Amino acid sequence: MSATPNRDIREIIREEPLMHRPILKALAAGPLTVPEIAEAIGRPADEVLFWVMGMRRYGMVTESKDPTDEGYFSYGAVGGGVPS
Amino acid sequence: MDYDVLVVGSGIGGMESAIKLGDMGYKVLLVEKEGSVGGRVILLSKVFPTLDCASCITTPKMAATIHHPNITAMTYSEVLGIRRASDTHFRASVRQKARYVDEAACTGCQLCETACTVAVPDQFNADLVARRAAYIPFPQAVPKKAIIERVGTSPCTDTCPAGIKAHGYVSLIRSGKYEEAFQLVLDATPLVGSLGRACYAPCESECTRGELEGSIPIRRLKRFVADRHYREMDGPGVTPAEPNGKSVAIVGSGPAGLTAAWQLARSGYRVKIFEAAAEPGGFLRYALPTYRLPQEVVEQDIRNVTALGVEIATSAPVRDLGALRLDGYDAVLLATGTPHSTSLGVPGEEIEGVLGGLDFLREVRRGETADLQGKRVVIVGGGNVAMDAARTARRLGAVETVVAYRRGREEMPAHKAEVDDAEAEGVELRFLVAPVEVVGDAAGRVQGLRCQRMELGQPDASGRRRPEPVRGSEFVIPCEAVVAAIGMVPDTDSFARMVSIGPSHRVKVDPKTLQSEVPYLFAAGDVVMGPSDIARAVGQGRRAAFMIDRWLQGRELAGFSAFDERLGVVDKTQVLARQKKYTHRDPVTVNAARLSAPRDFAEIEPPMTEDEALAGAGGCIDCGVCSECGQCVAACPPAAIDLNMRERTFDVEVGAVVVSTGYKLFAADLKPDYGFGKYPNVITAMQMDRLIAPTRPFNTVLRPGDGKVPERIAYVMCTGSRDKTVGNPLCSKICCMYSTKQNQLIMGTLPLADVTVHYIDIRAAGKRYEEFYQQAKAMGANYIKGRVAKITEKEDGNLILRYEDIENGGAIVEAEYDLVVLAVGVQPNREAERLFIDEPLGLDDYYFVAEPNEDLDPGKTSIPGVFVAGAASGTKDIVDTILHAGAAVAQVAAHLEQGNTTKKVPV
Repeated sequence: MSATPNRDIREIIREEPLMHRPILKALAAGPLTVPEIAEAIGRPADEVLFWVMGMRRYGMVTESKDPTDEGYFSYGAVGGGVPS
Repeated sequence: MDYDVLVVGSGIGGMESAIKLGDMGYKVLLVEKEGSVGGRVILLSKVFPTLDCASCITTPKMAATIHHPNITAMTYSEVLGIRRASDTHFRASVRQKARYVDEAACTGCQLCETACTVAVPDQFNADLVARRAAYIPFPQAVPKKAIIERVGTSPCTDTCPAGIKAHGYVSLIRSGKYEEAFQLVLDATPLVGSLGRACYAPCESECTRGELEGSIPIRRLKRFVADRHYREMDGPGVTPAEPNGKSVAIVGSGPAGLTAAWQLARSGYRVKIFEAAAEPGGFLRYALPTYRLPQEVVEQDIRNVTALGVEIATSAPVRDLGALRLDGYDAVLLATGTPHSTSLGVPGEEIEGVLGGLDFLREVRRGETADLQGKRVVIVGGGNVAMDAARTARRLGAVETVVAYRRGREEMPAHKAEVDDAEAEGVELRFLVAPVEVVGDAAGRVQGLRCQRMELGQPDASGRRRPEPVRGSEFVIPCEAVVAAIGMVPDTDSFARMVSIGPSHRVKVDPKTLQSEVPYLFAAGDVVMGPSDIARAVGQGRRAAFMIDRWLQGRELAGFSAFDERLGVVDKTQVLARQKKYTHRDPVTVNAARLSAPRDFAEIEPPMTEDEALAGAGGCIDCGVCSECGQCVAACPPAAIDLNMRERTFDVEVGAVVVSTGYKLFAADLKPDYGFGKYPNVITAMQMDRLIAPTRPFNTVLRPGDGKVPERIAYVMCTGSRDKTVGNPLCSKICCMYSTKQNQLIMGTLPLADVTVHYIDIRAAGKRYEEFYQQAKAMGANYIKGRVAKITEKEDGNLILRYEDIENGGAIVEAEYDLVVLAVGVQPNREAERLFIDEPLGLDDYYFVAEPNEDLDPGKTSIPGVFVAGAASGTKDIVDTILHAGAAVAQVAAHLEQGNTTKKVPV
């Protein structure tokens, strides 16, 4: 995580609409945790959290009932998933 | 006097002041800069020491403030300045910002937010999550009405002469809404594919990203959505309005005529275009070479127009405009462009082998290809037509193509990209060269072009340096063909009986309404402006359609600004200043393979891949914030969104002022040793309050670095308070208790979490505060006395705190946590002092609003008639703020009663 070059929050958040598609694609096979999504799309976990929480806010993903033993919730796509 | 009291700020102190004054019968104007009343308290989880729900205690006051009969509450408004009007009155200037939403119609459904394509940090969630440019501040907002955040027009959109919302379609593409992006461009013009290829893209020249590593590929993004639409959709996907029974004749089917036809047909007019050439398209079809604009793209664009029922009569030149009126058309639009090339005006021009630039390009597009194989060609001129002619000549086999231009490279009117491409294709540019004579051989064929060298003198009317001949410098460029591309003129002689013809054969019309002296006759495009470009012609076509529609509805054409009015363009410097740093993004550039000797007219520029389009659009920095993509407008069930709304500024006269502007929180990144802004898992206490609030931005308390539920949480007290190194020696008074509150709430939310507080000493000076502190310890919170020196991050995102453990011998200890909360201190809100224009508002040594006699006269400031309530005068908890507001209210009442000038109503 320390290797992550800090980007300005505004810049990360601005990319959220751009990241909907790759994140939903990653979730097509089922719910994933933030680190798993980060690995799937090749982006830092702290940035992925911004995007996933933005998507959760606007109803595109929803969280699992309980976290994993490691303390991570999984997030799954709501509705149709990946836009055509 | 308009109001008895002006209350500035609607936090708990402002609301309490306004309500109490209103209850006493005084007329109160409350001005709040945010979109909701409530201040910071409404954003908290709970309050100490009672652990009452913050929303539960605040929302009744918020509702009372808004609905009180004696309070006028203006949210999303600012006090610009306050002056003394008399001994007893003040005059305040207030700006009511535009929400772009009709508050009466908005139901707070949030569909506009869901549809919005622009994401920005949510200041109401302490930047932990995104909100949208269209937003409702927070779930309990009062009023619960949407706001569209617009700070101005984005430079790309502002500069587009066609009126296309460039920022809008870029943001739609970024969101994967490709068809919506196509439709947004289509809203302005049917020529989406043509503009996506052949526009000179002034938007890209103005793109703020160009100040960094390079512009967004705005033009090519337009092409991307056009290519996609034409590949996947049949027809434009637009349903025109019901026929309105009126008809318009349009003469000319170039960009202006087609655009006007499109706009009028959509509005329900019956439109017929009369085109002199054998096929429609004008400049698009006959002047732009197919390597830049393939014919099938022009035809696809034209089919958008005909799909709406527009009839296009080709080989149908119109010489008598009045006859169209007699044929029953209610209005006529003249859009015939500039079909004639300007002659060189030198001897020998009539020799075989000399062609006008447009004539040459037109012949090639008609398939009447000139045989230039192995020939030498000289193109005279320095504009875009000259570049097109030169590159076309290369494709026709010219062995040598020379562009002769009488000025220098810097003065060339051609776009730089065109010049660069021409040179890349082997075109030779000769500058400061002017033709003197076309030299013919005995058979009457071109043998060469006699030229003379020029030098640049003083600037002429165009601002460019005037070329002046160099005596005795004549020379001949040997060639077999000469193309004169020095200008184009309209063909308007036959219209002179009806309309005034100005310089260069241009039709004279009102530049704003495009109406001629014959009311039913309008003119647009290059026939009015002279040679321009596609985007400008499109813009004129839109304007003409708008004006014709207005005229045919019997509405005034002058004295309104609906067509032209845009928000002012945003300042690029201010846009760039929104971020502390920008990550470099490689510009998405054209990867066209250019040949130095091209042999065919195949399109040069490759289409964008979806990945390229997304990467290109992803670089947009949302200069104007709202992109004007129109998705909110389409999504709003009650049609409450009005992007034509504008802010208004007005003055009010008041008898007293209450300053309740609250406080600022310490910017935690000013303590770099603590790593805020660098380590994702270091957050502020305000962020933690949002995480434990019922309206939290995450599904529970998660650490921002990776979404893990934290198990070991540390608090660092006195971050930015009691700290001379950051210029704030004051104790912020509330940090100990809000941290204690959070400790208890975290232990309730995360029963397995360990909470440790690193403190200097605990300040629990208030009723039941000490008990509250002891309760937290009893619940398991661990308190360690000693200041934290430094925080470092481990590879897994955990954090190492290095601190002095005073109560255990003063040892330097390191401890590992997975989340660290900085209990940031309170600082004055310096906005308060800027409110007063002619009398300085006294401040204390720490820049809080001073109460010169605070022991005996709390609430009174240095300005008679101006009072302060709440934390604007120094840190206060909620209880103290309410008490202080009460004191200020009493002072206000006494002041008003002494003046005896109130608007007070019987209670």
